[in-house]
Amino acid sequence: MTFSIDCSGKTTREINLLLRGAIAAGQREIRVVGSNARHNLGVALLEPVRITFEGSVGYYCGGMSDGPTIEIRGSAGWGTAESMMNGTVIIDGDAGSGVAASIRGGTVVVRGNAAARAGVSMKGGSLLIQGSVGYMAGFMMQKGTIVICGDAGEALADSMYAGTVFVGGQIADLGNDAVIEQPTPADEALLAEQLHRYSLRPPASFKKIVSGRKLWNFDKSELETWKVAL
Amino acid sequence: MCGIVGFLNKTIARPEPLGATLLGMLRALGCRGPDSAGVAVFHEPVDGRVLQIKLSDDVDTAIAAQRIRDAASACGRLVSDRVTGPYLRLVVQANGDASEIERIVESAAPGIEVISLGRRLEILKQVGSPDALDATYGIARMNGSHGLGHTRLSTESKVDLSHSQPFWAHGVPDLATVHNGHITNYHKLRRRYEQQGYRFYTENDSEVIGIYLRDRMAAGLPLTDALRSSLDDFDGSFSYLAASENMLAYVRDRFGFKPLVIAETDDFVAVATEEIALRNAIGADFDAREPAPGTLRVWSVASPSAVLATA
Repeated sequence: MTFSIDCSGKTTREINLLLRGAIAAGQREIRVVGSNARHNLGVALLEPVRITFEGSVGYYCGGMSDGPTIEIRGSAGWGTAESMMNGTVIIDGDAGSGVAASIRGGTVVVRGNAAARAGVSMKGGSLLIQGSVGYMAGFMMQKGTIVICGDAGEALADSMYAGTVFVGGQIADLGNDAVIEQPTPADEALLAEQLHRYSLRPPASFKKIVSGRKLWNFDKSELETWKVAL
Repeated sequence: MCGIVGFLNKTIARPEPLGATLLGMLRALGCRGPDSAGVAVFHEPVDGRVLQIKLSDDVDTAIAAQRIRDAASACGRLVSDRVTGPYLRLVVQANGDASEIERIVESAAPGIEVISLGRRLEILKQVGSPDALDATYGIARMNGSHGLGHTRLSTESKVDLSHSQPFWAHGVPDLATVHNGHITNYHKLRRRYEQQGYRFYTENDSEVIGIYLRDRMAAGLPLTDALRSSLDDFDGSFSYLAASENMLAYVRDRFGFKPLVIAETDDFVAVATEEIALRNAIGADFDAREPAPGTLRVWSVASPSAVLATA
């Protein structure tokens, strides 16, 4: 049975306390109505519950969580799912800047577009985007996968250590030390499976972007590269 | 931090006055800017000029107001005048050079500052919350076709009425700005403009935006081009809004350092620092999106008088 929380007239703290109270009382399906883009909703939840926000959320929704499945039936503000350990966050609309920044695990799905700095410093997990992303997606990412079905903005995957970015559309330009590779059959299979699981439409083909690893170690003969990178 | 909002009414059938919408948006952004709050409202044109004047801190209010009345009547017939708190609101049947009217009014007594001047623009701002602003000036009852609002968290300059926003672009009738961010080449720009004779009223870096637009327009650029060139000429972080008699615009720095969201429907255009402002004031029945960094957009006010006449 679904438990409902109406946000009208409530502060963020009151809503989050109600969420935690319901989870502690054993609720596993929770519907939150009237969230109206409030910040910091459903953060740091550690239980495998399913929470649906009927409407937009503000900043950091689902951040620092470990296990829940959060669906947002609207758009999401800056830093959605930031530093998530594990779990799933699905955004039906657009995502603001810094979506899935620093996540260590889990999956973030954006059915619309994502703004700048998507998936920066990712340390694991997956970020799947149906639409396009702004500049510097995947900046300094260390692990994990970003899948962009649409176009990517400037400085894509700049200074990435490791991890993989897939882009279906146009790339405005690649960041420092980001290089394009041919996706392997294993990559193709994984992409097909992930997109299918979240009912995302696949593009005709994907480009694969990985670290050129030139910035891993300082090399005097590559001083010019370093000057640009720093 | 700071909170900025803008609203443009496209239809005749809004359920509430413009001021109530701006106030609803500002309330949601009160926590981003607890120092001061302000609005710029564009209402039906007056015959001549409407001025909001900050009376002197040094001279008795009644005496200062009388001196301003005497001085202003040299510019044209005084249609109305009213003192509310530290403000004198004057309507003068004068269509001469805005800078000249401003100079005459401000020379009436020391410490006087013209906060806004135009046919349709009125700016009201003060230290304190949006609710306090409404309690003092009845913002929620103000009608208009479009307007701006601001909640301020001061980082580098003083907290008082003058340093609050919106800013009128001194010298250009009916042009106002609100800014969230930090113009980091402010001192360089200010030095250049002061050498050219522009007067700065505050130490607030946001004030330079209006001066910049004024200067570019004086050099012959249309306002839209002046807004566009500011993307190259300002350093630092900025999401700012500008509004004139017949347009509302946003400009966002190329890194998107400061947040901004936009909602546009057949009925209205609403812009705010955070989506929570739109939801709080207008509801849930429309999409909001974050504009790309390094972009601007200008919406024209189709026929403000038609909107107002039937509102």
